[in-house]
Amino acid sequence: MPGNQLVPLPQFPCSQSPTESMGSFCSRQQPLNEVDSDENIQAAEIDRRIAQETKTEQHIHKLLLLGAGESGKSTIFKQIRLLFQTGFDEAELRSYTSVIHANVYQTIKILYDGAKELAENEPNSLKYVVRTDNKEIGEKLSEIGSRMDSPCLTKEIAKEIATLWNDTAIQETYSHGNILQVPDCAQYFMENLERFSEVNYIPTKLLILQEDVLHARVRTTGVVEIQFSPVGESRKSGEVYRLYDVGGQRNERRKWIHLFEGVTSVIFCAAISEYDQMLFEDDTKNRMMETKELFEWVLKQSCFEKSSFMLFLNKFDIFEKKVHRVPLNVCEWFKDYQPMGSGKQEVEHAYEFVKKKFEELYFQNSKPDCVDRAFKIYRTTALDQKLIKKTFKLVDETLRRRNLIEAGLL
Amino acid sequence: MSFSELKDRHVAATAMVNTLRDRLNQKRQQLLDTDVAGYAKSQGRTAVNFSSTDLVCCRTLQGHTGKVYSLDWTPEKNRIVSASQDGRLIIWNALTSQKTHAIKLPCAWVMTCSFAPNGYSVACGGLDSECSIFNLNSQVDRDGNLPVSRVLTGHKGYVSSCEFVRDQDTRLITGSGDQTCVLWDVTTGQRISVFGGEFPSGHTSDVLSISINSSNSNMFVSGSCDATARLWDTRIASRAIRTYHGHHGDVNTVKFFPDGQRFGTGSDDGTCRLFDMRTGHQLQVYSQQQANNDQDVPIVTSIAFSISGRLLFAGYSNGDCYVWDTLLAEIWAFGGHRKVI
Repeated sequence: MPGNQLVPLPQFPCSQSPTESMGSFCSRQQPLNEVDSDENIQAAEIDRRIAQETKTEQHIHKLLLLGAGESGKSTIFKQIRLLFQTGFDEAELRSYTSVIHANVYQTIKILYDGAKELAENEPNSLKYVVRTDNKEIGEKLSEIGSRMDSPCLTKEIAKEIATLWNDTAIQETYSHGNILQVPDCAQYFMENLERFSEVNYIPTKLLILQEDVLHARVRTTGVVEIQFSPVGESRKSGEVYRLYDVGGQRNERRKWIHLFEGVTSVIFCAAISEYDQMLFEDDTKNRMMETKELFEWVLKQSCFEKSSFMLFLNKFDIFEKKVHRVPLNVCEWFKDYQPMGSGKQEVEHAYEFVKKKFEELYFQNSKPDCVDRAFKIYRTTALDQKLIKKTFKLVDETLRRRNLIEAGLL
Repeated sequence: MSFSELKDRHVAATAMVNTLRDRLNQKRQQLLDTDVAGYAKSQGRTAVNFSSTDLVCCRTLQGHTGKVYSLDWTPEKNRIVSASQDGRLIIWNALTSQKTHAIKLPCAWVMTCSFAPNGYSVACGGLDSECSIFNLNSQVDRDGNLPVSRVLTGHKGYVSSCEFVRDQDTRLITGSGDQTCVLWDVTTGQRISVFGGEFPSGHTSDVLSISINSSNSNMFVSGSCDATARLWDTRIASRAIRTYHGHHGDVNTVKFFPDGQRFGTGSDDGTCRLFDMRTGHQLQVYSQQQANNDQDVPIVTSIAFSISGRLLFAGYSNGDCYVWDTLLAEIWAFGGHRKVI
């Protein structure tokens, strides 16, 4: 190439005074020994502080939660919070009331609109036609559900929702929920309407009833983080973890994923019950295929070359029930699946098949130099707190072992 | 009208827009008889008359413990603010290399920073979808950190880029992953205008970079994942003044040319381009010849012009920094960091 001149960029030690070639910017050529000594002290103090903070941070392991929308990752995040921190305080619980109400309205809207759509398009359409005297309620609820701000859930509205929910057409729609975007906890919402509509309803202080909060789907923008220590508060006995969930970013992941370069571990959540469902954003795309693509993409990112991978095969409880009703091979990725039998054995067989698929995917997409990064698969049901606690203990063990290996002690 | 009829009409309309766009492109190609380099060479211009010792690294500022994502100078060019993956903003005295402030940010995932024209404040933004302002004269807290003096909230996606408006210390423009740019009033924290988003002619994907015109601070340009750059007038939020096509990949960085009549862009497609602001023409492409296949082309992550505009500094994902002669579209010098710029 003509006219190229290779210019190596030498390093100038700080004590050297500016040279002529720097041009007009540096007209204030102050020899360094005349610089205000206050400035020197301040700069030294800053350096000291940075060094100290960096040393403290070395003991903190960063964990990044990733997964497609609806993979259950935000629920896992909340679970970790409940398990290792003090849980939600009352003010925060109270703030979830309107969220629960909004979720109720959205759910019944999806069901009612879904019934209408099925009645129009399905061959066996009569079973999706809502009763005439419920239609007015349906239209009203559908309108409410489309608003940005939902009204409070009153006893009257709760009764109307219950009536509509009990309509056979709606029940029929619910059982064919996979082609619509019916949330997993629809039944839970519908069965607890009376409680939700109590005037003083706060998703309650009782730990068990915090299930309400876990069921609610909250959209976050930005990134949420929690810092915790799995084994009590003492930093000496356990590692300190910081878990990040980049929840609500509906944009190009590739533009911010590199910010997380060097995290200790990526916790990837895949909802294995979604093999027959379509995306919210694009109803021609299968959710499992989307998860597969996302996992492949994450594996290929050079910023995670040194990070451990923890794969949570999530929503196992829904998977368990679905496997009998809907064959795995409706999903293209699982098209070579051969059912073996029935009952519990079949569930295990199906689960092992899916697990193997993910394992193959992992090894196909990991570069040779990533061979010694840890990779573990866990079967999870994000709503089951005991299971999450147990799972996390295993994750902690893996990471501690990893730490020791890297330090050359194992 | 039924849903499927609407869908059909949408498909037809999109096809029509694409056809019109192609025709527009063809017309442009016909009118564009040469590029900047072709013209310059035909006029007998020769390479820049500096020698290799005129471009030297005069300072290496060390102190960040993570990748440096962004930096900005004060208008007097004597101080620098830098933002890093270690979750800190560091303010430097550019002449002495001393740090004057170090701010541990509440949200470590910072992507951009900017110095206020008066030199008293700095702004930063990132994955928290907010833009935080710090007043450098405030009292530090027990840990030696500056408190946040204002937070600009409202974006629904990460803040990729921010810049204070030159002659007004109270105004700031941000670019965001939510596909919009916003003009803020820093003193009240309110959004003055939103560019794009619900309003038509906005970007159709994440906004990655913005640059305010140095000659006319009412104009700014934004670069986006939708492979275009768009020109905006801050007084007219309802639509973009112009959209600039040409790149084949995300436009990661945009910078106005010193005279304010044109601007440069850098993209995932490995090229930098120079666009004329008023006509929309792509004046020049700055592209490295690659013998091997496209997958190895390093992407352009960051650019800057020299004061005269004769030199275009471009940072690439492989750690290289090329200095282009903007007139002749040749690489004039080369240097590099050890990792991605």
